[in-house]
Amino acid sequence: MKQATRILTVDDSPSMRALLRNALTTNGFEVEQAEDGQEALDWLASNEVDVVLTDINMPRLDGFGLIERLRSSARHSNRPILVLSTESSDEKKRRARDAGATGWIVKPFDAEKLTNAVRRVTHSA
Amino acid sequence: MKHAAIPEVAERVRVTILQGEAKASDDPNVEFSTVLGSCVATCMFDPVARIGGMNHFLLAEPPSYADRTTFDDHYGLFLMELLVNEMFSLGAVKARMKARLYGGANLREGMAAIGSVNAAFARKFLRDEGIEMVHEDMEGRNARRVHFLPASGQVRCRTTVNTAAPTQQPLAPRKAGSGDVTLF
Repeated sequence: MKQATRILTVDDSPSMRALLRNALTTNGFEVEQAEDGQEALDWLASNEVDVVLTDINMPRLDGFGLIERLRSSARHSNRPILVLSTESSDEKKRRARDAGATGWIVKPFDAEKLTNAVRRVTHSA
Repeated sequence: MKHAAIPEVAERVRVTILQGEAKASDDPNVEFSTVLGSCVATCMFDPVARIGGMNHFLLAEPPSYADRTTFDDHYGLFLMELLVNEMFSLGAVKARMKARLYGGANLREGMAAIGSVNAAFARKFLRDEGIEMVHEDMEGRNARRVHFLPASGQVRCRTTVNTAAPTQQPLAPRKAGSGDVTLF
């Protein structure tokens, strides 16, 4: 049997983490969670995931910083990174793309669209 | 004898917060206001940065065929996050934020207690996020009119006639583009 796609969600809001865990596990994904960019970086130093799904506004290390740091490491240079944010301005999206993000999803998210996006970037559709 | 005019204080800028909106400001001339029936409004304030924000939401009701005790809290969560982010963008810090909650009235007897469900969601959100709730004026049977000075954190809340509250749509209007996916 094929192994479930493993996702690391990065969000400082406990309410959002609970909602994401529920939506993603219901759709068959394995979910790991970090509370901010720094915790995500620390966790990724010794763990593997298929996709990183990150918020932008977070304490310590924000989403842009996380993407830049991951892309500067050979281990994470090709890892799909999706941003999940209430923001939807072209300027912010451009900044994320320039930092190396794979895609941008606008909150409030639609579970089906989110699931499809994860499958597309992991080529598991 | 004609006296010189007393210099006027700057005009107060009144901003109405409609259902589905969240706004923040640090301008001492700005006053946010809203009228609430079963909807809930959060007045959030960072006393150090003197930045305040207000949102106004109504949880989506379940479809008519579904169990009417469960509500979709996704939309309320979105508006709470939007409020916090609007305040962040002006320099507020989440750990310093204090919240006041208003609204959540159950306007008509015999109807599903939608107001109480909205109120319960708002309390739970603040508890889960570790944001201190310093005051609440929620539930009951009366509509409320709320005025909030975001730069000072002052709130005035009065009950008002129920017909003053906007007619609530069963489904909160979703912001255009929500859930949209852009792959680079």
